[in-house]
Amino acid sequence: MAIPHPRDIQLAAVRWLDERYPFTKAIDEAMYQRVPNFANAFYYCFGGMVFVIIVLQLVTGILLAIYYVPDARGNPAAAYNSVLFIQNTVYLGWLIRGVHFWGANILIFMVLLHMARVYWTGSYRAPRELNWIVGAIMLLLILAFALTGYLLPWDTKAYFATEVTIKIAGSPPPPQLGAFIKTILQGGPVVGPSTLQIFFTAHVFLLPALIVLLMYVHFKFIRAHGIAEPL
Amino acid sequence: MSDPQGTDDVLKEGPGAAVAEPKEVQIIELDGHVGHTLEPEWKRLPIGPDNILYPVIVGIALFPLLMGDAGHHLADDMPDEDTHPFFPDHFWPYPVIIIVMMITLGLLAAFVQKNLQLEAPADPRAVTIPRPDWYFLFLFQFIKLGPELVMSVVIPTVIIIVFLVWPFIDAIAGPRVAKRLGWKRWPVPGRNVMSGTGFVVFLLIIAVLEVWALAGPGFCLPWLTGPVCGA
Amino acid sequence: MADAAAPRLVTRRTFLGWWMAVILTSLTAAGVLPILVYLWPAPPKGQKKGPVSITLDKPITQLNDGEAVKFNAPTNPNTAFIMADGGGDNAPGDLAFGGFAVKNAGKVDVLAINCSHLGCSVALNDAAKTFDCPCHGSRFHLDGTVLHGPAAYPLSHLTWKQGDNPSTIQVDGIVLGF
Repeated sequence: MAIPHPRDIQLAAVRWLDERYPFTKAIDEAMYQRVPNFANAFYYCFGGMVFVIIVLQLVTGILLAIYYVPDARGNPAAAYNSVLFIQNTVYLGWLIRGVHFWGANILIFMVLLHMARVYWTGSYRAPRELNWIVGAIMLLLILAFALTGYLLPWDTKAYFATEVTIKIAGSPPPPQLGAFIKTILQGGPVVGPSTLQIFFTAHVFLLPALIVLLMYVHFKFIRAHGIAEPL
Repeated sequence: MSDPQGTDDVLKEGPGAAVAEPKEVQIIELDGHVGHTLEPEWKRLPIGPDNILYPVIVGIALFPLLMGDAGHHLADDMPDEDTHPFFPDHFWPYPVIIIVMMITLGLLAAFVQKNLQLEAPADPRAVTIPRPDWYFLFLFQFIKLGPELVMSVVIPTVIIIVFLVWPFIDAIAGPRVAKRLGWKRWPVPGRNVMSGTGFVVFLLIIAVLEVWALAGPGFCLPWLTGPVCGA
Repeated sequence: MADAAAPRLVTRRTFLGWWMAVILTSLTAAGVLPILVYLWPAPPKGQKKGPVSITLDKPITQLNDGEAVKFNAPTNPNTAFIMADGGGDNAPGDLAFGGFAVKNAGKVDVLAINCSHLGCSVALNDAAKTFDCPCHGSRFHLDGTVLHGPAAYPLSHLTWKQGDNPSTIQVDGIVLGF
């Protein structure tokens, strides 16, 4: 029995897949569709850069979660000690945490640049209104990421910044509503272990799920609309 | 080319059947959509489904592939000289951007570790001035300028709502304003005296607040409620 | 044939549609409500209200007029004080981790440390005889009333009484249980 050429095995696999879903056609459409020349301007790539950094944040975030302990009981708390452990003891822990920290800062900066470009060129206009709204919600999500992530090291700065944030969130009238929001956010009468647990859950489970979902919707819309006309 | 069913032997019989026609495979069409104007076959990379590098192409196209079908775009109606293919002409800067991004973040993480060092462990009895990160600093300064509820809840909420539904405000109010001013049309912000200037003024206000806060507690400016200092 | 000419208002199809909508809505509500209740924080084990004995740096009887002494809530067990009144971000029943005993015009007040604006800890400004908030620049008189905004409400009082010996006071507080 002759041994088939590897190329033929691959071709057979591709055909098998194509009979089930038009992969070849999808790849052709993705790779060889034509893009307007005006989309080569440098300010059209801010969105792509945001995507790259979000992926980087997801990867470094997962790596940090391996060593982080969301426990704020005691002083110094296990949360604080685990961040010190990542920073000083884990191999390349300083690098992973540094990339996550600076990635967050540059991410916010890039998101603002991207939004400024979209606004300036009027790319939010019909038929792209919904995509603007999805993007605006993602900006709020990213700020929520920054806010919840800021508390996780559980140092003095983080503690008091969160207290002020929760005070602001709990100030809308009537007082019962404010008190309700405050109690739900801090999970008790004061900022304490349950607050850290809630912020950790939001930062690590809720917000990543939401942002990945919205990113998918965002790109889906871009694929449907194409690149907006220039200024 | 061989096919998985092994029908080659049958077709080889008889004169003129030396080049076997591959068996017709039913390709699933998505919503009867005809797709984009694609690069002609001869201009594409010589990497077809039978090439050993095809899995690499699939890997690169995996993301747009997951995005599925796309709509009819502006580029599909543009003359050839005004457009270029997505791959490789439009795609090549992105790997460069990814590499530059990772190197930048790595260098920041390596040489600017100061910003991510921890303070003392959280202690509710400590007396500190909580100063937020740069992306909330202007808001921190803004809160000092008036009564709490208005500055920290009412105005930010109004700004966020305007920002979310901005495309609709622009589409409904814009043409009316243009008509009243005797303009022929309502241009995009980049070419619009009103929405463009408004945007620049908004950014300037934020920049002033940010610089004011960064100038520190010793830097005070007169204000309606008395002198207000930086953070 | 009369039915075909004049379609009925409620067909079997629309009735089933409405019925399904009602069922699905109530199922969602039945699922969401327990989640909301679940999110409401339960008091941690070991939470206990009661007077907390505090030893002051300087006995109240020795305080001069316009003098204030700062004290912190005990850490072992982790305890906080309960505010007796308050406005703005301080409400009666809110918690504070520190306070000031102030003698002002012959009268002694015990104030919670939290600024009524956004809850930062105020500091005693000895020279000006005021409490200054480092966060947003609010200032208070020694009796807790507002001298300068953005705060709009006075500092909160703590409920207290004289302790067994001259340098201790009993302040209403709560053992937090963590």
